Amino acid sequence: MSITKTAGLLDQLSQLERSVSDFSFEELSVNEAKELKNSFNSFKSSLERQIYSPNQNSDSLKKEPLMVFDKQEVSQKEFITHVSHEIRTPLSSIIGFANLLKEERLTTSQQKKVEAIQFASNTLLKLINEVLDYSKISSGNTSFESIDFKLHSLLNDVMFLCETLLVDSKVELIIDIDKSVPQVIKGDPSKLSQIILNLVGNSIKFVNGGFIKLDVIVKEVNENNYVLEFSVSDTGIGISKEKINSIFERYSQADNDTYIKYGGTGLGLSITKEIIEKQNGEIEISSVVGKGTTVSFTLPFSKGDLNNLPIEKTNDFDIKEAKKLLEGTEIMVFEDNLMNQHLILEQLTKWGCNVYTNVTLKKGLNILAAKKVDLILMDLKMPNLDGFEMSKVIRSNENPIISKTPIVAFSADFTEQDGKDCESIGINDFLLKPYTLNDLMSIIISNKRENTPTDEFKSILQKQMIEPKETTVIDLNSLLDDCFGELEMLNELIKLFKTNVLEFMGNVRIHLKTDNLVEIAFSAHKLKASFAMLKAKGMRNLIVELEANCKANEPDKVKELYELFLNDYPLLENNLNIDLEKLNKK
Amino acid sequence: MGKRVLLADDDQLLASLLNFRLKKGGYEVHHSLNGKEVKEYLKTEMPDIIVSDIMMPYFSGIELIDYVRNELKSNTPIIIISSAGNEQNVLSAFELGANDFITKPVSPTELLVRVAREINKK
Repeated sequence: MSITKTAGLLDQLSQLERSVSDFSFEELSVNEAKELKNSFNSFKSSLERQIYSPNQNSDSLKKEPLMVFDKQEVSQKEFITHVSHEIRTPLSSIIGFANLLKEERLTTSQQKKVEAIQFASNTLLKLINEVLDYSKISSGNTSFESIDFKLHSLLNDVMFLCETLLVDSKVELIIDIDKSVPQVIKGDPSKLSQIILNLVGNSIKFVNGGFIKLDVIVKEVNENNYVLEFSVSDTGIGISKEKINSIFERYSQADNDTYIKYGGTGLGLSITKEIIEKQNGEIEISSVVGKGTTVSFTLPFSKGDLNNLPIEKTNDFDIKEAKKLLEGTEIMVFEDNLMNQHLILEQLTKWGCNVYTNVTLKKGLNILAAKKVDLILMDLKMPNLDGFEMSKVIRSNENPIISKTPIVAFSADFTEQDGKDCESIGINDFLLKPYTLNDLMSIIISNKRENTPTDEFKSILQKQMIEPKETTVIDLNSLLDDCFGELEMLNELIKLFKTNVLEFMGNVRIHLKTDNLVEIAFSAHKLKASFAMLKAKGMRNLIVELEANCKANEPDKVKELYELFLNDYPLLENNLNIDLEKLNKK
Repeated sequence: MGKRVLLADDDQLLASLLNFRLKKGGYEVHHSLNGKEVKEYLKTEMPDIIVSDIMMPYFSGIELIDYVRNELKSNTPIIIISSAGNEQNVLSAFELGANDFITKPVSPTELLVRVAREINKK
């Protein structure tokens, strides 16, 4: 079981790699992009090291990967325990930097790529979590989720990811979902996306020109149950009759030459088959050499309920509240991985915390004595330092200001014994890597010193808290004050504000055609005041930059910034409408 | 009768807010959206104070000061609204006889204080 999962991981990894490199092709001077790439490389090499040569440091086993473990089933658990830490740590950097990067000012196409990285790394994380789930492995069962999801948007996401794999190729990706296919269904979305990624990914390897097509139809309907048929057809090299029978066998790729020419582990299809059959589906393959291959599979789903879909939208009011709670919080971080140190420092600083990183225990104790630190974040398993030991020293200090400091431990893996140790030492809480920003924020708020969580806090914490983009933030309060609290006036002004923006957009559209940057500069100059009135600092800065680039005669830059504006303004206006509605209701 | 303010600003949004606040402050406000309108208005009326944006289409705030001081020969106080970073404009405005200036983003409260001060000087 774990071997097939590990191979699935490899497949996902190569997909992630392509979208990461694709992204870094963009000439980004942004630090996060570089660090993301670095994280990825260290992640990849540690994964490869672990998989190809668990007991040796050489690459000599590359030709016959994975077979090693087949003969040593016993060592599986050991192997998994061993890789767990090394895989999760760099992956948490990838996810973290992708999150940070998304907050940067990006063009629409860059943003899509970051989203592809996020999608791929989250898929990878899910897979790793499964690989690391000991109980599932030992019992030989794979569990499947049963949740409501939007089929069409899932397929579009998957196909978008596939498109990023096709950068230079002249292959057309086509998706055709029959009208009778329901929009919302209930089943396991992550397994479905994994299957389709595997199949389309496979086709991509063997197609040079032509197309890859995904068709979805309803095969059977029975009250609330559907059997859907998905077919992936391509115009690739095809597979001969002799080879087609063994294609689903583990480690079998049509022949040795194929392996050399096209690479890969040959495991994708066997995993895919296993996942499909475990869900009571069927898979079929037909192929003509030189013409192409069609892989069709069926999967049962039940009817979904639109009301059960997970809530995606975030509410920035709550983030503001949560940020208020974090403002000025003193946090000390013991983490020796520089990448993660940088990541956590940047995030916490953004939230208004004062952060001490890169401290030794001795230095840390001095700071703890001199300053009232509200929380310690302690990596438990650092190669050169022992987080447990350090926590013990802190807890046993004579000075109560030091010894009573709340400690939240974090680590890339966590055993039952670790839990017991944490409890006996007096570590307050625990965070598993990789964590989301939401996890980090709520664990800090609920553990920091002198904190009495009110119901209001708790309701804030229950909501997703992703940092809103700076360019979409507004604050109507001071404008309302300027109106002496008269809502009628405020509403009138907001109407005028929207008119100003529309006028600006009209002007830019006309003058971009003739590259008349003087007129655009004038329009931008006028609009600055409007955003200033709404305390939309981020958007105002964007407009200032746009104006400056008009004056510097940089039409391409102006276009790029205007694209950003077009991308973010609807979000800003949405926030504006929400806030205005709230005020009007009051 | 409240004192009369001529407000010249092509930004409807800012002008509406200032108009609202000036009226609340007991002033009578005439608002013009561009320099042409301002010129027309000034042919027949002379307000107690003029508040004008520097950057306006057709007829800039600078030209307006020049027109009021040198053609109409009027000493009516003029307050200029300028953008940050346009210090050169502010200097020319003062040279031509502007009485005060305020930088964007404009605080309506601050503007009201400045308007009252100029009117009380008279």
